Parts: sequence; structure tokens; C-alpha cells
Amino acid sequence: MTDLAALSSFLVAAVGLAVPLALAALGETVSERSGVINIGLEGSVIWGALGGALGALTVGPHAGLATGALAGGLAALVFAGFAVRLGTDQIITGTAVTIGSLGFTGAVFQSRFGATGLALELQTVPAWEVPVLSRIPLLGPAFFDQAITAYLAYAMVPLLGWFLFRTRWGLALRAAGESPEAAHAAGVPVVRTRMLATVFGGLMAGLAGAHLSLVHTGTFAENMSAGKGFIAIAVVVLGRWRPWGVFAAALFFGGAEALQFTLQALDADLPYPLFLALPYVLSLAALAGWFGRSRAPEGLALPWPRWRRISTNPKK
Amino acid sequence: MTVAARLDSITRRFGPVTALDKVDFELAPGEIHGLLGENGAGKTTLANILGGLLAPDAGRVEIGGQRVELRSARDARVLGVAMVHQHFSLVPRFTGFENVALFNGEAWTRRGMIAPGYRSQVEAHASELKLDAELDAPVAALGVGERQRVEILKALMSETRVLLLDEPTAVLAPQEVDGLFAVLREVAAAGTAIVLVAHKLDEVLAVADRVTVLRRGRHVLTEEAAGLSAGELAEAMVGRAVAAPSVSGVGSMGGGEGERGRPGGQTADGGGAQPSGEPDSTPVAILADVTIGAGEAPALSDVSMTVHRGEIFGIAGVDGNGQRALAAVLAGTLKPDTGAATLPDEVGWIPQDRGEEGLVKEFTITENVALALHEKPAYRRGPWLDWARIGETSAALVDELDVLARSPDTSAGTLSGGNQQKVVTGREFLRAGELLVAESPTRGLDVKATRAVRERIVQLARTGNRPPGVVLISADLDEVLELADRIAVMVRGRLIPVERDDHNAAAIGALMLSAGDGTP
Repeated sequence: MTDLAALSSFLVAAVGLAVPLALAALGETVSERSGVINIGLEGSVIWGALGGALGALTVGPHAGLATGALAGGLAALVFAGFAVRLGTDQIITGTAVTIGSLGFTGAVFQSRFGATGLALELQTVPAWEVPVLSRIPLLGPAFFDQAITAYLAYAMVPLLGWFLFRTRWGLALRAAGESPEAAHAAGVPVVRTRMLATVFGGLMAGLAGAHLSLVHTGTFAENMSAGKGFIAIAVVVLGRWRPWGVFAAALFFGGAEALQFTLQALDADLPYPLFLALPYVLSLAALAGWFGRSRAPEGLALPWPRWRRISTNPKK
Repeated sequence: MTVAARLDSITRRFGPVTALDKVDFELAPGEIHGLLGENGAGKTTLANILGGLLAPDAGRVEIGGQRVELRSARDARVLGVAMVHQHFSLVPRFTGFENVALFNGEAWTRRGMIAPGYRSQVEAHASELKLDAELDAPVAALGVGERQRVEILKALMSETRVLLLDEPTAVLAPQEVDGLFAVLREVAAAGTAIVLVAHKLDEVLAVADRVTVLRRGRHVLTEEAAGLSAGELAEAMVGRAVAAPSVSGVGSMGGGEGERGRPGGQTADGGGAQPSGEPDSTPVAILADVTIGAGEAPALSDVSMTVHRGEIFGIAGVDGNGQRALAAVLAGTLKPDTGAATLPDEVGWIPQDRGEEGLVKEFTITENVALALHEKPAYRRGPWLDWARIGETSAALVDELDVLARSPDTSAGTLSGGNQQKVVTGREFLRAGELLVAESPTRGLDVKATRAVRERIVQLARTGNRPPGVVLISADLDEVLELADRIAVMVRGRLIPVERDDHNAAAIGALMLSAGDGTP
């Protein structure tokens, strides 16, 4: 294998692995910007993978992407119902949704396809080569010979940037995440905004899950999300809550994973699992502010309204 | 007379407490209406009802002659009622302009983009009102006075019939107060009715056309400000004759119930700014070239100071100039990045944000007292806490500072802000064996409690063989002038000593607004 060919295949793998991360992380960016950290994202991913598989079996692979997204959105709706509507602790609720989802999806899968674990074979969503662009050396095949999910992820980046930082609704959403009190005083329906943002995050994570089953593997397996939802949350941190940064961070995480596979294939004498750890080290560094000051939204993970305070002291 | 807004026989309860009891209130267009009362008198509750943040349990709200039911601040806003809160409702990381736009629907096109020309509209309105508001910096980077101007501009960008301001002067330098009042006069001249919730009587008298006084949830009086004196107002607020603390010295009030059993209080000199006799020269706390933070704007920059036994060291300055860092260093909770802090063991600290830093809201008053005193041998029996003793102390504290609570076993979170503050203040006095760090100890307190707290600070520093040193950090310049033996001003992290000849509002006010690198 020539070096160039190795590089090319590495890039293709890196982008392919980055797409589900980017989808889930872009959705989570919106959710976190509104003040909700959805630790249940992993649950949305696995529901997306299963929902995608079932949809693909009954209708077809493209419809599967839609049903996957819906399944992920529903999981996020459950999470948001508790954590946003009822104000339960976001971390605990999210953890419960994740663990519950892994169990439920496994149960649904087994009841439908039996416990024997017969490999399910799904018709996959084909890649679509973008004319002209895909012929750019190296980057063309990596970025522009992918399934529709990749193009959705690319499109989301400028779209979300525009929405969050240019429109009235983006401003309101960010206000709900920074200072729900001030947002409320300005007439922003904080609870509804956070619900919608969280469900959007779930739809995107569901799409990421459907990508896993319908693009990446063509099958469903229990726990096949394999931590992608959690990785997406780290991607948001490394990307510093900005769509472009998040997309770049997703590529970086995807690259690290691909590098690990490539090194394995090359039989290199390196402890390759270390490359899986590298992105997390950088995420921690980003959290600690080593890459400049851009902190999480100030209202992140804080329930609103704080009922008790409101009822006892109208000033707070 | 046309009426901008009317509250008719409003009653509002919080649990067992009746915050407002059949209160009537009326606002005329273009008037500045001062709303006065002690803590818990119901001022803020009344403002919140008119602002749509609270619903009354009984009574009618009329705005512009129409009976209305306000369900949210948004409802009130639509009817032309805007509110400027004590804790500003601005998003700190947004710029001034973004905050204005967030609040005002007119800023946006139907497709959700900023309307062309809105920016210049905002600027034009600001200059019309002589309101110098910074629009491009994130609000978090602005001083309190600047934030307030953004907040007012934000409120006034839509047509406003009634503007409610909750204690707007509490955080301002004297010059800024004048600026605010000038703006309020412009706003009122344009026909907006202004409600000014306040606790400084002389300020209200200086700017208000009419004054309403509430006492313990009841309406006491509404009169033209021109015919009222500060003494009459103070009497109406408290219900008996007192001297307002900002008008007279500490020792001069006439026999209120607050001082029973504490003869030491009378030994305090009435002159205020003079040290009593020979100052003790024993230092209790020494800061040498203390710096916190780095870069262009460190929180503290080469601060040196020595606090002696028995002195009150006053630190004036507009909020947000490093006072909080200084207090934390003195209290021993923040280590200097460079420089040295030599501190005593027994330090009492009345933090600025008493609700958050001073109290565990889920604990009872007694438990909160215990939390601060548990290391003192006097409150322990072997490894156990002496709950009986702590309970007595807590009961005495509730009694002395006139805390409005059913009992010392009431949980701290159910107290009003002012009463929480009294608890923290009283408790920290007990803890301050050698040093008391008091951050705005009377902010938000009513006349009577303010007097009691100031009196006790003087008493603490002046009595006994080994009195503690007191560092009084306050944005209330009158308070610093009244109590402190020595004064320094904090400006942008620097501590500038003030010569004794300059112990007056004009000289110190000028230093407060200076760049902090020039004159002494």
C-alpha cells in the first residue's frame, strides 16, 4: 500500500466515523446552548439505530433514517419531560435514560429477532458521489463520496451558526441557556425553548444512530452505540459550543478513531488504543480553558424555574 | 386626573406571612413616585405585582384605566409596564445591544433578523434620554452603573407607561446617582410614570414628586414629597420617632428598643469619623503587595494595608472594583497570587451575597449559627456541640436584630433577603475575635436594622480590652464616612488611601470614578 493510498483510506474512514459524532454533537450543541446537558444522548443514539433498522425493514433505508431520527427525538422528549418540564436533575435523569434505553432497545430487538443474536442484514443507504467536488484529490473522496447523512451534517454547520447567532430565536435560545431568569423576564418561554432544543438534539442523535445501523454497518446489534452519545458530549466541549468548532472537533475524534484502525492494519508497533484516549485529554484541556476562554453556557444543567426559591423569596 | 396605573385593595400572602394587606396605590402619568418601607414592608412585592411577576391573592390591578390580570412580566410589558430589577435581568455574556434586542420585539423582522435601522433607533433614543449606555461590550464586562443604564434603555425601547425601579441607587457612586436622577426626570417628562423603590430617604425626597410609605404590608401614607421631611418619612416607616441613620450619627438616636442591655453602645462617639482616643497600634491583619489575577485587569493589584485593633478601616468604591477579592483575601478564603497576607485566626466575614455565601438555606437559623461557631470551644462540650448554648445565642440574635422569623428553628431559606442578612451579620459579629470583614453590611436593610448594625460595628471596635479590627467594605459612601476611622478607595483593583482632609463625599466620589492610577 502506498503512503498516499493509506492516507486516502485513512481520511475516508475518519470522515465516515466523524459523521455520526458530528450529527449528535451538533444537536447537543443546540440543546446545551439552551441550558440542557443531555447525558441521555447515548439513549437517543441507540434508539435511533434500532428505529432506523425497523424503519428500513418495513419501508426502506431512507425512511429508516427518518424513523431513526424520530426514535431518538422521542427518547429526548422523555428526558426533557423529566429534566426540563419537571426540573429533575439533568445528570441523573440523563444517565437513567441512557441505561434504560440500552436495556429497552435490547429487549425490543430480542423479542423481534430472537435472543440468538442472528445477524440482521439491512439494506444500507448508498453513498452519493457529488459531481466535481468528489474529484478533489484526497479530500474529495473523503468528504464528497458519502451517504446523505454526511451532507446533512455539513449543511447543519452553517445553518445552525446562522440560527444561533443571527436570528431572534437563536438569541432567545442562548439567553435561556445563559440566564433563564433574564430570558424569562424578556418574555422568552424558557421551558418550551429548552424542550424544543432538547428534542432537536434527540432527533439529530437519532439520525446519528440510524447512520450507525443503516450506513455504517447495515445491521443492528445491542449496545451498538458504543458510547457515541457520550463522545458527542465531549465533542461539544472540544468544539466550544460553536457549530464550526464542533464539526472540526468531530472530525478530530473521528480521525483519532480512524488512526487507531489504520495503525492496527499497518501492524505498527504502537499502543494504538492510546489514540482513542487522546481526544478526551484534549476535551479536558478545552474544559480547563487551555484553548482560550469560551465557557459552557452559564445556566447549563441548572433546572428552571427554581420553584422553591421563587415561592419563598420573590426577589430571587 | 388620568391614571397610569392603579392597585386597588391588593392582598398578597406568602405562606403564613401577609406581605400586602389591602394596599391601594395610584400612579399619575409623568410622576416620579417614591415607594418607601422597611424590609418586609411589601415594597418589592407591590412592584412585582404591578410588574406582572406576582399575582395578587385579592384586589384589582388597573393599567391605563383598564382592569387587567397580569400573568407574566410579558403581559405587563405588553401593557407598557417595564421593570428594572435589583438583580439586573440582563444576560451577562450578551452585549448591551443584544440584551436590548432580546427584550424588544420591534427589534426583529418577521423572519427573525435584526430590523434594519434598529441599532440607530436605539442610539437615538439613548441620546434623547441623555442615557450613556455601552452597547457593544458584553454586559459582564460593564460596571454596575453601566449595566443599569443598559437595563433602563432596554426597558424604555418600547412604549412605556410605567417604569418600576427596585432600589436603583443602592449600587451607584454619588455622581452616578445624580446621572440616574437626571435620566429619570427626562423619562418622566416624556409622560412615563416612574415607581422608585428605595431606602435612602433623602434621595427619594430629592427626586420624587410623591411618596408612598408601606409598613408591614399596610399602606401608611401617600403625599406630595415637597411637604415631607426625612424625619417624618422615617417615622412613618418605623411607626415611631427615629432619626434616619444617613442623616445623623450613630450614637444620637433616641432610645429605641434595639439597644436594651447593651450599655457599651452609648460609649461610641457621635462624631463618627474620629477615632476614640488613642488608637491601638497592634496590627491584626497585614496585606503586603497582594495581587490576585493577571493580565490587563487583575482583581487586585499590589494592595497593601494594615488593620489595627479597635479601628474601623473603611473601603469605599463602586461595586465590582475588586472589593470581593479583597474581602475574600482578608477572610482567608483566597490566597494571594503574589504578595503576602498575614491574617489572624478569628475572623468574621459578612459576605456580600449573604443568601448564597452566608447561609445554608435548608438549615434553620440555629443550625446556620452553629455552622459558624462550631469551632469555638465555648460552643462545644467535648466533641459534641453545645446545642443549648447555640440555641440561646441564636434566639438572642433573632431578638436583638429584630429578625422577622417565627422562631430560631425557622429555615433560613424562608426568610426575606433583609432578614437573612441580619442573621449572617449577627452571627459573624460573634465570630470576629480579631478581625471583622463586613461587605456592605447594611445593604438592603431597613432604617432600624441599619442603625442597629452600624451601632454594633462601632461597639465591636470600641469596647473591651482586645477589640477586633474592622474592615468595612461598602458602596454606600455615607456609611463609610460615618463609621470609618481611616478610608481607602478601591478602583480597578487598586487601593488608594484617602487623606483625612479628603474624608468627604465629593473628594471620595471623584476617586471612586477615577482611573485608579493617578492621584494618591
